[in-house]
Amino acid sequence: MTHFFYIDSEGKQKGPFTLEELRSEPIKKDTLVWTQGMAEWKRANDVVEIKPLFEFKGPSTSPETNIPQQENYQFNPQAKTGVDSVLMPKTWMVESILVTILPFILCGNIFSLLGIVAIVSASKVESLFRQGLFTEATEASLNAGRWTKITFWVAIGAIILGIISIVLFVVFFGSLAGISSMLSI
Amino acid sequence: MKSKQRILIAVASFLVATAIALFFYIDPNVYPFFPKCPFLVITGFKCPGCGSQRAIHQLLHFNISGAFSHNPLVVIYGPYILLGLYIEYWGGKNKFPKMQSLFFGKIAALVILIMIMGFWIARNIF
Repeated sequence: MTHFFYIDSEGKQKGPFTLEELRSEPIKKDTLVWTQGMAEWKRANDVVEIKPLFEFKGPSTSPETNIPQQENYQFNPQAKTGVDSVLMPKTWMVESILVTILPFILCGNIFSLLGIVAIVSASKVESLFRQGLFTEATEASLNAGRWTKITFWVAIGAIILGIISIVLFVVFFGSLAGISSMLSI
Repeated sequence: MKSKQRILIAVASFLVATAIALFFYIDPNVYPFFPKCPFLVITGFKCPGCGSQRAIHQLLHFNISGAFSHNPLVVIYGPYILLGLYIEYWGGKNKFPKMQSLFFGKIAALVILIMIMGFWIARNIF
């Protein structure tokens, strides 16, 4: 049985709940949810198992069945104690730094500035998480991921532009050479 | 999802291999069609990445001092990038959890950015 954690409106972490128990919890579509096997917290509406709850949210089933099922619940093996017992959202620290340095090495300094936005967000994730601000930490993680991906694709675009310009250059001078050789004959 | 990832890795490694082969066999000093730095062309100032292609060419021929004279940052960050890939994707994160916070933490990011900016200013003055 999978168990879910969620973050309530005050930023506190609640759980574990089975899917059936989750039905009677005050979860909205944008509530952040996590379960074993997920790399990071996701909005409830993006989780395949939970999405149907919003479609058939009938009268809440008897709350008496909310017996904590701790005994056979397995925590994430990487987790430590206390606040850490829930998975920290992906920090994006390594990716955001790499995605900033790599385009810089290819001489794309303007794109590297985008990477700084990602690094700043990424560096917030861990400290927010340590303070117990799970919602904010997750938001920072999502933001860092978004900017890392933007920087990544912009860099890819720059590389493709570079390749196109090389090809155009070669074709242009190649044709010039062809024309001049035709004229001389 | 898994097969999509596999395709992505295959494409990426193909591109990297092609790039390495290109930079190994072709000396950017000799052939004019290697892309010029747009920042240098527009402003006349060198950016922190200028000389990196020549530096990579020298590095692939194990000429470290030559690479260093073209662009020292490439020599320094080459191993750093490999370290990052190792930590994040090849299992280094679980083996050495301390290493990530040391080399890819807040302070490390700040040091790297200051180094880049400092190098940027310095190479245009001296």
